[in-house]
Amino acid sequence: MAIPIESLPPPGWDREGIDGLLGLFPPGRLSEIVGPRSSGGSSLLLAFIARITTSGGQVAFVDGMDALDPASAAAAGTDLSALLWVKCAGRLRTALSAADLLARCPGFPLVVLDLDELGPVPASAQIRLQRAVEGSDSILIVRSTRHREGSGASLVVATRRLAPRWMGLRPLTRLAGLRSEASIARSRSQLLSPQTWTLDWTL
Amino acid sequence: MTRIACLLAMNDPARPTALLQVALAHSPRVEDAGAGRVYLDTSGLQRLFGDEQRLAARLHEAAAAAALETRVGIAGTRIAALAAARLGVGATVVEPGGDAAYLAAAPLSLLELSEEVAARLSRWGLRTLGELAALPTAGLFERLGGEGVRLQRLARGEDPRPLASSRPVPLFVESVDCEWGMENLEPVVERMRELAVRVCASLGARGLAADAFEWVCRLDGGREHEGALTPAVPMTDAAAVSGLLRLGLEARPPHGIVQGLTLRARPVRMTPAQESLTDRSRPSARLLAATLNRLVALVGADGIGVPALLDSHRPDAVALGVYPPHPTPLPRREREPEEPSPLRGESRVAGRAAAEGEASESPTLALRRLRPPTPAAITLASGRPVALRSSRLTGRIVAGVGPWRSSGEWWSPHPWLQDEWDVELADGTLCRLAHDGSAWHLAGIYD
Repeated sequence: MAIPIESLPPPGWDREGIDGLLGLFPPGRLSEIVGPRSSGGSSLLLAFIARITTSGGQVAFVDGMDALDPASAAAAGTDLSALLWVKCAGRLRTALSAADLLARCPGFPLVVLDLDELGPVPASAQIRLQRAVEGSDSILIVRSTRHREGSGASLVVATRRLAPRWMGLRPLTRLAGLRSEASIARSRSQLLSPQTWTLDWTL
Repeated sequence: MTRIACLLAMNDPARPTALLQVALAHSPRVEDAGAGRVYLDTSGLQRLFGDEQRLAARLHEAAAAAALETRVGIAGTRIAALAAARLGVGATVVEPGGDAAYLAAAPLSLLELSEEVAARLSRWGLRTLGELAALPTAGLFERLGGEGVRLQRLARGEDPRPLASSRPVPLFVESVDCEWGMENLEPVVERMRELAVRVCASLGARGLAADAFEWVCRLDGGREHEGALTPAVPMTDAAAVSGLLRLGLEARPPHGIVQGLTLRARPVRMTPAQESLTDRSRPSARLLAATLNRLVALVGADGIGVPALLDSHRPDAVALGVYPPHPTPLPRREREPEEPSPLRGESRVAGRAAAEGEASESPTLALRRLRPPTPAAITLASGRPVALRSSRLTGRIVAGVGPWRSSGEWWSPHPWLQDEWDVELADGTLCRLAHDGSAWHLAGIYD
């Protein structure tokens, strides 16, 4: 009897949703999430962090702008006790050095460098980060609002704002969420075809 | 049928290990309850020591031989054995099946109640365990919850919890004597390396590590030279420990002829890098400590840690905790399985509600905080913001909801109040505005 070598995804694994998107980020490589303000990029990051921490993993979050809202992270399902938060107070070099150190420390399945408007990462620093994470099991994701042409990232996911969702009609009563779109802007893997994901974020 | 002996020290609770040694000399299953009290599982000991009266007398004599004045009680449960030891004289044996009757006249203080529960039971006029045992269980649960039911079961001589086995912490000490004496540092370091290898091997054999090492060099003339080292992380690597010992000895060398060496390690239990086969591995303690130290040098000690939500409605009420958070063992009572509720159905409803809560989890829109909040100039029309101007964002507001009003800590020197608005700018940016009673701020951006 043939024994299947592929392992089945766990119950509840959503191939068409965030789980499927997270599965595309290659371990041991530098990846990027880019998109303008209010395009769902940070929400996507928190969803990834929640999935890693609830499955027992530790996540390192290098916060370039000190913008992480732990209440949002907890609402997204993150186990805050498994989250190492490094606040860099808007200093790009400090954030890059911190990410470099954490990418070299084994045991963090996900290392996030959230630069937002501090980004994109300079080319020399990008090469250094790529070298730091190479050969490890860590996924290194850089989040910034702009994408640098000629970036060495293995995977670049672009996020785009579609529309906010409001509750109530004239007058509006509550901001209910945001609909955004994520797409593969660039991939070094030949296996990945251009795809888009429509994501509904609730508040 | 389980039989338990309680060995209660009357004179010397400051020597708990002596009491534990006496108990371990008679039974392999021993629980150290602290405060000069040890429980032994006496099941099957009759073949070795005779009946329970003889065993109790033997325990009493063995403790006396160790210069311990003790009382011994043997019964079917811990609480009855404790009552027999406290209330009896010398050695007391409660007949099998007689625990509840024996406990009926015992005082409530035997249960080691919290101040609050003790006060309530006292107000109810209860003085003995028999009176507590006679109360209706459902009524007791309504008033004291699961704790009340647990106490009543103990008062009735029912104690389902098995003994928690204790073992004395082994000493990790190695010594070597050098009758010919060592005048130079190099042979001292070499002997110390040998001791480190032996200490680390015995630590590793027990799955332990050491977070402190102390050494003593016995010098000629009866003098001693002492030193200690505390590595950044607990370790068992003999090579690394040897290197640190060498550095320590070179920094503070012994002045005299060394005639003997002793190395002592303080053992700690290491958190495994991977708890089980299916768990994810954690960062290596050694590498993590080094990385964290470098990060602290980079961003400062107040810039790194585990985010913790404070128990407050104040906006952005967040603190930073220590990383990695040290797992604190739960109190034994919390680790026990939940007692079934005498009020049937409540726990099942609560469990279902919790399960439904988990199932309804959906992707959450993240707020990016601006720290500190950026001062903003807001144009109002009919009390509603219609335009935003700030150093971070500027634009016409096309949609908005609010104000969401919150306030708190009016009783403290630092009260706060805030009106929050969620608005959409003309370029599509969603952001949160806040007005603290005197000025507007841009508090965050939804992303």
